[in-house]
Amino acid sequence: MTTTEASRSTYSTDLDLFSDEVLLDPFPHYRHLRDLAPVVYLSKYDLFGLFRYDQVRTALNDWETFSSAQGVALNPIANEAWKDSILCMDPPRHRTIRKVFDDALRPKFVRKVAGDLDVQAHEIVDELLAQGEFDGVTDFAHRLPVNVVMDLVGFPRDENRKKILGWAEGSFNFAGPLGDRQTASLPGAQAQLEYLINNASVDKLLPDSFGRVVYGAAEKGEITQEEAVTMMIGYANAGLDTTINAVAATLWLLAVNPDQWQAVRDDHKLVPSAFLEGIRMESPAQFFSRVTTRDVEIEGITIPEGSRVLHSYGSANRDERHYPDPDRFDAARNPVDTMAFDNGVHTCPGRTLASMEGHALFKALAEKVSSIELVEAPTWIPNSITRGPSTYRVRIS
Amino acid sequence: MHIDIDRGRCEGYGVCVQSAPDLFDLDDEGDPVILRADVDGDLTDAAALAERSCPMQAVQTT
Ligand code: HEM
Ligand code: SF4
Repeated sequence: MTTTEASRSTYSTDLDLFSDEVLLDPFPHYRHLRDLAPVVYLSKYDLFGLFRYDQVRTALNDWETFSSAQGVALNPIANEAWKDSILCMDPPRHRTIRKVFDDALRPKFVRKVAGDLDVQAHEIVDELLAQGEFDGVTDFAHRLPVNVVMDLVGFPRDENRKKILGWAEGSFNFAGPLGDRQTASLPGAQAQLEYLINNASVDKLLPDSFGRVVYGAAEKGEITQEEAVTMMIGYANAGLDTTINAVAATLWLLAVNPDQWQAVRDDHKLVPSAFLEGIRMESPAQFFSRVTTRDVEIEGITIPEGSRVLHSYGSANRDERHYPDPDRFDAARNPVDTMAFDNGVHTCPGRTLASMEGHALFKALAEKVSSIELVEAPTWIPNSITRGPSTYRVRIS
Repeated sequence: MHIDIDRGRCEGYGVCVQSAPDLFDLDDEGDPVILRADVDGDLTDAAALAERSCPMQAVQTT
């Protein structure tokens, strides 16, 4: 016993990873955790943690050892509530449900429902150019993801859409460790569930939408009614905040790195790379977790069977062992091997859609805008899982 | 270097296209097409990046 404890002290930390202070500026802490050991033990939360790129990647590609079936959230309430969600399944069950998502998120289907993203993006940019100064989050980053995701899911085009966005923001705190932030998210989660059952029944959904497909599958008995409702929640929550954070972070990074914006303007082919670089730097989803199905040894440290293991996308994406000069925004880096969208069987099925939205917006900007100027620095609201600015002001011309 | 896609693993995310646009494209169905299966010189780096980046480990180089 003594020997185990003695060795654990070499890779254990009492850092409060989920304190407001750390969440507001996590990157120096991540560096410290990466340097501490290839696996760390977060004593305050009784969690093992993976913070280096190689270890995060290896774990995500080994679902048989790092299982999602006991949930990916960091508290038992969320893991119970989400137990029928795609996030919390292993193959082969995962495969059946995943097919519904994959089919519904193929570019062909997305184009049919979302219409021409480039046209919508140009409308947004034209309007904001006329306005001159605006909020980078609510005026720019919100609009396309909200329209696109809500149309794809098929939520009626009414005033409830604003509320759905609010619930989605809170929903990730629901998955964080127990505490004030988690408690505060509960009423929103409940309201969202009630909305889905009362106001988004199948007859009210837009035709040809993902929602119709999902409830259709339930009618045919391919999935249960509960799975259908959970899927609707999952889709709305997974697709909104993440994409909004990605777009908002990238615009902010371009504003504070004018030389990089100039590089994108000089060569529009850099747009996909620049958007991915914004995603790498800020990682819209910072963490999720898995549970080990056996004792796992990583470079001399043993994670016992049945341990909950946190993996940090945000830290992996800033690992100097993998990305040289990781804190620098390099529009030409093209970090296609980023961990921001996960890896392996749960790899984000919305990556293509998010990319289509981001590319449309930043291409429209590159075509029409010569300067992006930060007028008021971002404010951030700490979230247990996601990361993104909540407001900042920019001027474009 | 020879490039292959394991169709049993591929889910059509198109990350390979973003990694190496000279080597991959997506067809109208959204399935990847290999534009050049045998590469050398600088293109081997692009092929290796595609192999590393495919989220499904479907791109294989030999
Ligand atoms: C930049 C934007 C996005 C980022 C960074 C992102 C990130 C992620 C991550 C990290 C996961 C894995 C979670 C885990 O395995 O524990 C995931 C899964 C998922 N994402 Fe995304 N996502 C984005 C956009 C979207 C969009 C636009 C949609 C759909 C409209 C979407 C739908 C999903 C779904 C359904 C899953 C669950 C997949 C599964 O468990 O098999 N995401 N995403
Ligand atoms: S990146 Fe991999 S999964 Fe995606 S299309 Fe290419 S080969 Fe298929």
